[in-house]
Amino acid sequence: MKYKSQSIAMLYFIAAIGLFVGQILFGVILGLQYVIGDFLFPEIPFNVARMVHTNLLIVWLLFGFMGAAYFLVPEESERELYAPWLAKLMFWIFLVAGALTILGYLMVPYATLAEITMNDLLPTMGREFLEQPTITKVGIVIVALAFIFNIGMTILTGRKTVISLVLLTGIVGLAVFFLFSFYNPHNLVLDKYFWWFVVHLWVEGVWELIMASLLAYVLIKVTGVDREVIEKWLYIIIAMALISGIIGTGHHFFWIGAPDYWQWLGSVFSALEPIPFFMMTLFAFNVVSKRRRDHPNKAATLWALGTAVMAFLGAGVWGFLHTLAPVNFYTHGTQITAAHGHMAFYGAYVMVVLTIISYSMPLMRGQQAANARAQLFEMWAFWLMTIAMVFITLFLTGAGILQVYLQRYSDAPMTFMATQEKIQIFYWLREGAGVIFLIGLIIYLISFFVKGEEVKMVERHAAEAAS
Amino acid sequence: MTQATITKSDTDLPKLLPGDFAIWFFIFAELLVFAIAFIAYAVARQQNLAMFNHYQLTLNRELGAANTLLLITASYFAVRAIQAIHQDEIKSCSRWLYASLACGAGFLLLKSFEYYDKFAAGINLGSNTFYMFYLSLTLFHFLHVILGMIILFAITIKAQRGGYSAENHTGIETGASYWHMVDLVWIILFPLVYIMH
Amino acid sequence: MRETFTKGMARNIYYGGSVFFFLVFIGLTVDTVKSLPKTDNRENLTAEVIAGKRLWEHNNCIGCHTLLGEGAYFAPELGNVYTRFGESTEAIKAFIMSRPVEGIPGRRSMPQFNFTDQELEELAQFLKYSDGIKVARDWPPNIQG
Repeated sequence: MKYKSQSIAMLYFIAAIGLFVGQILFGVILGLQYVIGDFLFPEIPFNVARMVHTNLLIVWLLFGFMGAAYFLVPEESERELYAPWLAKLMFWIFLVAGALTILGYLMVPYATLAEITMNDLLPTMGREFLEQPTITKVGIVIVALAFIFNIGMTILTGRKTVISLVLLTGIVGLAVFFLFSFYNPHNLVLDKYFWWFVVHLWVEGVWELIMASLLAYVLIKVTGVDREVIEKWLYIIIAMALISGIIGTGHHFFWIGAPDYWQWLGSVFSALEPIPFFMMTLFAFNVVSKRRRDHPNKAATLWALGTAVMAFLGAGVWGFLHTLAPVNFYTHGTQITAAHGHMAFYGAYVMVVLTIISYSMPLMRGQQAANARAQLFEMWAFWLMTIAMVFITLFLTGAGILQVYLQRYSDAPMTFMATQEKIQIFYWLREGAGVIFLIGLIIYLISFFVKGEEVKMVERHAAEAAS
Repeated sequence: MTQATITKSDTDLPKLLPGDFAIWFFIFAELLVFAIAFIAYAVARQQNLAMFNHYQLTLNRELGAANTLLLITASYFAVRAIQAIHQDEIKSCSRWLYASLACGAGFLLLKSFEYYDKFAAGINLGSNTFYMFYLSLTLFHFLHVILGMIILFAITIKAQRGGYSAENHTGIETGASYWHMVDLVWIILFPLVYIMH
Repeated sequence: MRETFTKGMARNIYYGGSVFFFLVFIGLTVDTVKSLPKTDNRENLTAEVIAGKRLWEHNNCIGCHTLLGEGAYFAPELGNVYTRFGESTEAIKAFIMSRPVEGIPGRRSMPQFNFTDQELEELAQFLKYSDGIKVARDWPPNIQG
């Protein structure tokens, strides 16, 4: 770690991991509610638990992105952070606002929360993923602006690298598209149409810029491969992501009352969306095989490769599976969507944040890499969580296929609730995989406290690297 | 590896694709989009053969044919520009580029007449499946012509200022490659949408 | 080939390509917004429906149900519930009203929201309006949603 202010990232990462644990605990509760319908009812109804699960995910990923930016931007810009105090202040504001919001979800009925936060003044609540009270949304905007200011000033007054500039465009895009969350027209079709400007253009647009730049940064660090090479691939990959992803938004406009042409446009462009993820996988493996050094942080390299593979599988393959309009006609809003959502979020965003945490945490704790035993724990956590997620996805896909057949495709369609009874077995299996994921997460937490011998960097000889 | 060794080993390699390698990602991605869109058109046409055949006759084939000629000529001029720069003839290179741009502008002009005609008749994306395809495919291509011309124009300006030479002309090849792609797409699009009955 | 794969060109494609497709997207959005009146059932957007949508949001219905396929997948699709309940707002109201406070043992249970008659009417009208939106191919595939 070259600059003192980079260590602010530690705060953000600790909060991120803490909220991650909360997210998974609620995930396990949700999984159980799928099979034992009245579990915790009426104290924590499904909708509340789900809101906590998804909102915690979003908030902890944002913590992770911010922490990552605070860690890598000073180093890329070759200067201290513009205003470290502001970064610390925003951390506490965001944490308190986030915690209060989650407590609000859990302590009072949602309608009461809407009332006491005066949602009627500017109604934005009650839409999927955007359930936060309006006042929290305003808080998010303020935190985001301060964050952009801090990061932007650091970048603009220091060395400008491709990685930091791409990261900055990603962050600015994130803030800009979030503004659509304040637009909530009475007209349901318009509401849904512009709701996707936040949701799709985040996760299939600007977040990909953030993800790709973080991945590129870690790959430069752990492989020692020439920055020039990595940067041009970074550009090409994110260019493909936006070229396919922007009009690819159309795959959400099939069945919400938008014009028919979206079926064609959405299908064609979203069919291309796996390409950038595929390129990312090729790129990551290529760079690691051409590495100039053997970085002692094996775990970080594993996370980086894992991110590329799982993002391709989750976002690319599972996305393509149901993106074409004729297929989506049957699969829209079933467990297939849930399957895709789980693996895509884990593969692309959870894993990239864990990658940068894995790389940077030891540095902030004064080591090049965690000791060999700690890394072993971390790699166990990697495999347990990743394999558990693969199985969660497979079981949900199984549930989804059966659901589509029984409820939508067969000659005698069953009701929704009757269908859910028939696919219980998949939900039990999914819950089992979810518990394995939780065990993986616990091992991950333990890995930070495991003691052992320190490991050192081995530079590869140039000739050896070239061969 | 030092800078010198990189340059040497690279010049030894035969070049597979002209221009900057980066543009080829873009070109292949775009061709893929158009290819899928053409397949979609073919599928939709099979399902509504009579309707497609009927409305196809309302399209202006003469303007379409003229536009085809214009784009092919534009591509040819771009080739001449590259030949010129190989001979270090900077003036003639930029003149060919301007000629190519003029053909592109001619395409846009004729196409605008065609659209004006259709829009005045109250046709839009929602009219029917055929017009949806006709308009979205040709409009999407129309935007590519504009983008191609912007790229070509940037190159022309640089060429005029002596930014290229017989040794250094990757930029022109890059722009021309994209321009040829725009031409190629039209050469498929025109018979597919206007002629094939 | 490396010398002709330049960072500058990659950058230009990134910026140029994104701007190009973003402009196309804005154009399509304008066209979509202009053509929505044909499908979005805005003529039935009464004060009751608007109040119903607010109730829908304030009780986080999307946290269990889907509406036009979007939301959670824990409870039935409601974009066509008006049709499924025999085009009867009374049936919808009766269902919401009759949910037991302590839930149904062992089963997925919808909370009892204690709505007033007026609120029930507003919610039912909102669901009726949603059902009236003309969705492509009349999604969902059948009445079960």
